[in-house]
Formats: sequence, C-alpha cells, structure tokens
Amino acid sequence: MKKTAVAAGILALGAMAMLAGCGGGDKAAADGKTHIRFATWDVAEDVDRQQALVDKFNESQDQIEVTLEAYGSDFDTKISAGMGSGDAPDVMYMWNYPSYYEGLEPLDSYIEKEGEDYKANFYETLWDYNSMNDSIYGIPVGFTTHTLFYNKDIFAEAGLEEPTDEWTWDDLMEAAKTINDKTGKEGFAFQMKPDPYDFEMYLWSNGTAYCDAEGNLEGNLNSDASKEVFQMFQDMEKDGYAVATEAAPTDEFRAGNVAMFIYGSWSINTFNEDGLNYGVVKIPSFAGKGDSISILSSSGLSISKDSENKDAAWEFVKFWTNEDANKERIGLELPVLYSVVESEGIMDQPEYAPFYEMLEQSAGHTPASFIIEDWSEVSENLSLSFEEVLNPSALMDVSEVLDGAAAK
Amino acid sequence: MKQKSFLRTATPYLFILPWIIGFLVFTIGPLIFSLIMSFFDWPLTSTPEFVGFGNYIEMFTEDDQFWKSLVISLKYAAIFVPLNLIVALFLAMLITQPVKGVKIYRTLYYIPTVISGVAVAILWGWLLDSNYGVVNYLLSLIGIEGPQWLIDKSWALFAVIIASAFGVGSMMLIFYTDIKNIPPDVYEAASLDGASPARQFFSITLPLITPTLLFNLIMSIINSFQQVTLVMLLTNGGPLNSTYFYGLMTYNNAFKHHKMGYAAANAWVMFIIILFLTALVFKSSSAWVFYETEAGGKEKKAKKKQAKEAK
Repeated sequence: MKKTAVAAGILALGAMAMLAGCGGGDKAAADGKTHIRFATWDVAEDVDRQQALVDKFNESQDQIEVTLEAYGSDFDTKISAGMGSGDAPDVMYMWNYPSYYEGLEPLDSYIEKEGEDYKANFYETLWDYNSMNDSIYGIPVGFTTHTLFYNKDIFAEAGLEEPTDEWTWDDLMEAAKTINDKTGKEGFAFQMKPDPYDFEMYLWSNGTAYCDAEGNLEGNLNSDASKEVFQMFQDMEKDGYAVATEAAPTDEFRAGNVAMFIYGSWSINTFNEDGLNYGVVKIPSFAGKGDSISILSSSGLSISKDSENKDAAWEFVKFWTNEDANKERIGLELPVLYSVVESEGIMDQPEYAPFYEMLEQSAGHTPASFIIEDWSEVSENLSLSFEEVLNPSALMDVSEVLDGAAAK
Repeated sequence: MKQKSFLRTATPYLFILPWIIGFLVFTIGPLIFSLIMSFFDWPLTSTPEFVGFGNYIEMFTEDDQFWKSLVISLKYAAIFVPLNLIVALFLAMLITQPVKGVKIYRTLYYIPTVISGVAVAILWGWLLDSNYGVVNYLLSLIGIEGPQWLIDKSWALFAVIIASAFGVGSMMLIFYTDIKNIPPDVYEAASLDGASPARQFFSITLPLITPTLLFNLIMSIINSFQQVTLVMLLTNGGPLNSTYFYGLMTYNNAFKHHKMGYAAANAWVMFIIILFLTALVFKSSSAWVFYETEAGGKEKKAKKKQAKEAK
C-alpha cells in the first residue's frame, strides 16, 4: 500500500510539472517582468559577446527580461519549425525575408513613431534589403558588400602595381596572368558553386540580371550580357591562371596561394590576426558598363507576427540597433548608422572604406530572391547550372547550360 | 479488496507509463501527424491546404529530382551495405585472433564509431581535399595521382561511401561478441577432422552467426537510406548533385523550400521502401538464417508437413 502511494505521489508531481510547463506562455511571469525570447544564428565567441550585450539590456531596466537563444547552424530549421507551430522567438535575426516575411511583424508603424531622423540615420540601401512588398520587416543590424581582396606580397613578388578602384576585369585578368607566370601562384580564385544570390552582382555590373520585374528568367539569365559574365569566369579557369575552389577561397588566400579574390567583410578579423599583408579595393567593373555593383548580405532584427509582447520586443530591437550597440559590434559587423560610421572614423580605415563605397554605388538593384516567388527552388536549379559551367570536371558549354536553365 | 487488486494489476503499467507516454507523444504522434501532413500543401508560414494524393502524384510524375535521388540512394545502399558487412565481419574475425595486443586493436577499430557524424564529415572533408588532402598525398607517394574526390562527380559518391564505412565499429563489435560465443570445441573437432581455417570459417563461423548477419543487414539497409548528416556536411549533395541523397532531398524540401507536406510525403515513400526491403530480407531469411534452438523444431515441422501431404 505504501509503495503505491509513493508511486501515485510521483505521478501527481509529474503531472503538475507538465501542467506548469504548459502554462509558460503567460504574458507576465511570476517575477512581474515581460519575457522576450531572442534568437541568433551566431556561434562561439560571438554569442558570448551578444550575451554580454543582452545582460546589459536586462540590467538597464526592470520591465523586460530577454533570453538569448543561440541556434547556430540550425537557425533556419528552428525558425521554420517555430513559425510552423506558432512558437517562434519574439525577436530574431533575419536576412531571408522572402521566405519568412509572412511570419514576421511589419515594422513601418513602429518606425514612424520614432520620427523621421530615426530612419534617416540608417544607410538607405539597407532598408530595401530588409523589406518585402514595400513593408519593412527588419531593422538593419549589419551588412556586408563584396570587395576585391588582394595579397600585397604576391603583387610585389610579381613586380606589379597594386589594384585600384578604377580597375576593370581586363586589368584583373592581365594581372592574374602575369602573377601566374612569374610566381606560379593562382592569380585569382572564385567558388565553383557560387551562391546564386551572391553571383547576381556580376550580372548587374554587366547591365543585366537573372530575371525581369515579373520574375521571367528567359531572355535575362540567358541574355548575351549574362553569358558574357559566365564565359569570362569559365575562360579564366580554362586558361589556367584562375582557380575554382570548393568553398569560398578564404583558406587559399590566407595561405598565400591566391593573389586575389572577391568576398565580404567576414574574414577581415582573421586576416588581421594572421598578419596577412593584404589590401581591399572595389570590385572591378566591366569596361564601358559603369560602376561595378555589389550584392548586399545584410542582417536585420525582426519581430515574430505571433509574439504576444510586441511592444517589449520593439524596445529590445531599438536597443539592439542603437548607436551604442552598433559601436559594440564593430569588428563583428559593419555599422549601419551614418552617425556611427562618422564618429568612429570608419571611412578613414582602408580595409573598411571600400565596403561603404560599394554600398553607395549598389543602390537600386533588387535581388532575384525578392522577385521570384519560389526562389529557394529556382536557386537550387541555378546553383546546379552554375556548377556545370564552373566545376573543373564539367566545364559545360555556357550558352547551352544557361538556355536550359532559363527554359526550366 | 477490489481496489487493491486493481492497483496490483495497474502497478506494472504505471511503471512503464513514462515510456509509453514518450512513445505515444514523440513517436506515434509525429508519425501519424506526418501522414496527415503528406496529404496537405503545407507551407510553413501560411495556412495548409488539403490536396489529397497531390503530393504523391507530383512526386511520381513531375519531380525529376525524386527519381534521381532515389537512384542515388539505392546505388549507395547497394555498394555500402555489402561493403560495410564484409569489412565489419573481416575486422571482427581479425580481433578474435589470439594475438598480443588484440585489446588495443579492438579499441582502435571501435574508436571512429564514437566520433559524432559532424566531426566525421569535417575530418573526411580535409582528408579527401583534392589539393591538400592526406589521402591524395599518400597516393602520390606511390605514384598515383588521386582523383578530385569531392569535385569530380564520378568519385563523390564513392568518397561518401568510404567516409561512412569509417563508422563500421559498432557492427564489428556485434559480430565479435557473436563469434566469441561459438563454443571452441566445435572448432577443435573440425581441426581434428582436418578442416582448414577457411573451411572452418565458411562451415562453422558463418552459419552460426547468420542471425547476427540478418540483424546487421537490416540495420545497415535502414541506416543507408537515412543517411543525411554525412552528405549534408561533406558534399551538401554536390558535386553536380551526384550525392543528392533521398534523405537530403527530403530535408531540403522541408526546411529549405518550406514544403512540409511534400517532404512528409517524401518521408512516407521512403518509409514504405524501407519496410518493403526489410520484409523482403525477412522473407528470404528462412532460407539462409540458421537458429540453433530452432533446428529440431524445423525438422519436426517438415515431418508434419510431409505427413500432411501423404494424407
């Protein structure tokens, strides 16, 4: 009898614990604070830095308590699953608006309340990348454009002038050839399976795009200007002075095996720690086609449509995107506020300035991912086609591949 | 009194209740739910819409990738399963030999199994790198120019198979314990009769471990169809989609393209294929699996059958 009573007691306790667990969705918890869940995709030390910033917010006031949830590489899986089950975090990092905007809260009215100056302090192009169908769904946190990185030592070894902002692709190819001849190193490197989202910048620079405003690939992806771009990359590879790498050629560049590559600002810290002697300039332009254009990889902070505490969430979003937070993140992310870029003298730093120059000259282009409705599937097809053109074991005919991809 | 007897019958069930709840909530529940999902067009962020067998029809009639991925997974299973079994059995035979330091070898062969799938993928990514990889370096020492494992589409699938054979240890251990269980006097008798080691292996060891072989065969068929982690991290389906396994396709449909209903249908088709293959193996097992305890029974059954037929 005693035993069963104990068993019954344990079961009752278990049931209570389960019930208590289910009741966690209440607006104000026992401590009287509003609880906000905040999801980030960062890992390792970056999360520690973010946690420190979150702690700072929690200590700064006694109304809101934010919990940081670091999803890392599972970010998309967890956000997808969270949105599907109506249990998404209140505040989350976001970049892929076309896929997720239906689960996010439009922020236009919140921004309006903050006044004109609030919005004007952000670099304007960034709003385009944080919007969908003319509504803003995220407040810009960080961004990167792409630039040309080059190894100064290799250029010196080959006896060449260093690249400049005025370079065209012809200049780059010529230099790459000379470097390959004189030093035996690779002149230029690019990824053999580029992310279609990133690669569109070369098409923009050459006056075309993957698709028109209605999302038609035909006549755009396989236009002459587009084929010219792919042919140029394939030829560089065929002629042997450029190499197509499995991943982005960061490691090859760090090891000093590659003289030039085009990339975002992500590796600047690593290069500096390595003591690499490198320089940064704008992406070369296509001769006679005007300034080169860069794609933006931008991150923003969004609020879930299903959040029960949107006002508290907005308070936190404002904190996370204010001047101080922007300054805290320098080295981790490029600041997005005019005032911070000015006060920190970012434009005087030669490794950062080109990213902002690329940002200014890249306004007015809408990535295909914002236009084409089922982009993730189209992107997968494009990615395969690009690999067919650029993979050294394939190197298929550019015209045929692109015509085929456009017809799909 | 009545109450007491109720408690008495209920007590064992109460003890296994946590497990039963877990099974219902985390296994049966999602299983049924995914079956329901597979009949819906289920985008993540908007409302699901009932489409009947639409997902299944689309899969079989419109989706080229479905067939391609299915073929890739079948090809992988067809090479990986026998290879895995042979390697595991071979290693198990080696570590049953009475040599010095066999414990060290046993540990060495088992260690890779303990490493998580993510680490294995990263490790092999480096080993098989075509420019800086150790594998190609070793090949170059003996004058062979190694293939571009992860870039060339005719080699990538093979690279994945090599990397997955790395985790052969647990299967080896299962074989090992079973081989150890065979009474030594059987071998003694055989060697007195002049049976060679090879003969002993094929006539004693192999028949006696067939039940374990059956278990390992089924497990590795299931595992090979569920392979996702390794391809996702090692090749991500590339180069040129040559390692775009069925499991990876299902995952991408769900979490990249947000087609939850379609992915659920993918998963159910895979479930049915695995079920069918497993059933096939089971069905065939009566012909080649030998159960010691059953031996007498079988003969009796056969006799009964004969008697019946005679009638």
